[in-house]
Amino acid sequence: MMEIQIPYDPATNPLNNNEWSFPLLEIIHIVGFAIAIGTIFMVDLRLIGIGMKRQLASQLAKDLDPWTLGGLIAVLMSGPLIFSSDPNLYLNNFSFQFKIVALLVAILYQYTVHRKVAASDSSPVVGALVGIISVSLWISIVAGGLFIAFA
Amino acid sequence: MTALRESALVYPIIMTGHLTGMALFGGMICITDMRLLGWAMRDTPITDVIEQLRVWKQIGFVLVVGCGAMLLGSKAELYYYNPFYWTKMALLLLVGIHALAFRNVYSNPTAFPGKAKVAACLSLLIWVGLVTAGRSIAYWDVPDNLTPIYGSNSPTTHHTRK
Repeated sequence: MMEIQIPYDPATNPLNNNEWSFPLLEIIHIVGFAIAIGTIFMVDLRLIGIGMKRQLASQLAKDLDPWTLGGLIAVLMSGPLIFSSDPNLYLNNFSFQFKIVALLVAILYQYTVHRKVAASDSSPVVGALVGIISVSLWISIVAGGLFIAFA
Repeated sequence: MTALRESALVYPIIMTGHLTGMALFGGMICITDMRLLGWAMRDTPITDVIEQLRVWKQIGFVLVVGCGAMLLGSKAELYYYNPFYWTKMALLLLVGIHALAFRNVYSNPTAFPGKAKVAACLSLLIWVGLVTAGRSIAYWDVPDNLTPIYGSNSPTTHHTRK
């Protein structure tokens, strides 16, 4: 597979002129995904039926949705900035490619199927399936992200 | 422990467990604190939020700390010198002290509204501090006198910009 090479010099990126901007972005990224995935997981626990059972899935999803969105916004702002520090490295990294595909699928899934099923408090079987797929998608994104550095 | 350090795959897999634990359960800690502050899930009674999340946060804690212990075990000689690692351990100790000091808040949240808010703020600070210190571990510059023995730092430092 041919290596992608964008004619871009990372040295021109102001994010690269100091030691701590990169780790700071990573920390924002981590806190962001902890909030986003944590709140999604809370709804998934209810959909699967093993936790958060004192309220309906629809109520839980409605209450937690702003926090999920906030977390995702933090992730989607810090992520591209991190990417900008060395685009060629990331573009040629299989783990990164996997992560972005999984992320797109997960976000699409979250705001279509997941939202609809949670809001309609449908059957336990449907809910469990939707919840398990949701957890699996988000965990694979975390794994993909981590393996970028180890690929 | 040597297998952990020398296998190319085991260390990142354990690290993935560490991060996955943070992803799944970190948000729960945040929502608990946000509920105590009255900023999230306001329609749900505080006791319901705290009681339902309790066992899951405990599971998450065991997962994250368990993976952390394994990561530490594989690099203990290097972490011994790393100030960020020790900061993280101090913060972990603070987590325990916090849990002890505010145990009556978490067992009976409605009875201590003011203290609950203090507990929540401190909790958020400690956990964000933990993530910060933890991430910074990889960015510690290994002193020259240590590199011959321990090699350079973890693979993630190739992102370090000077």
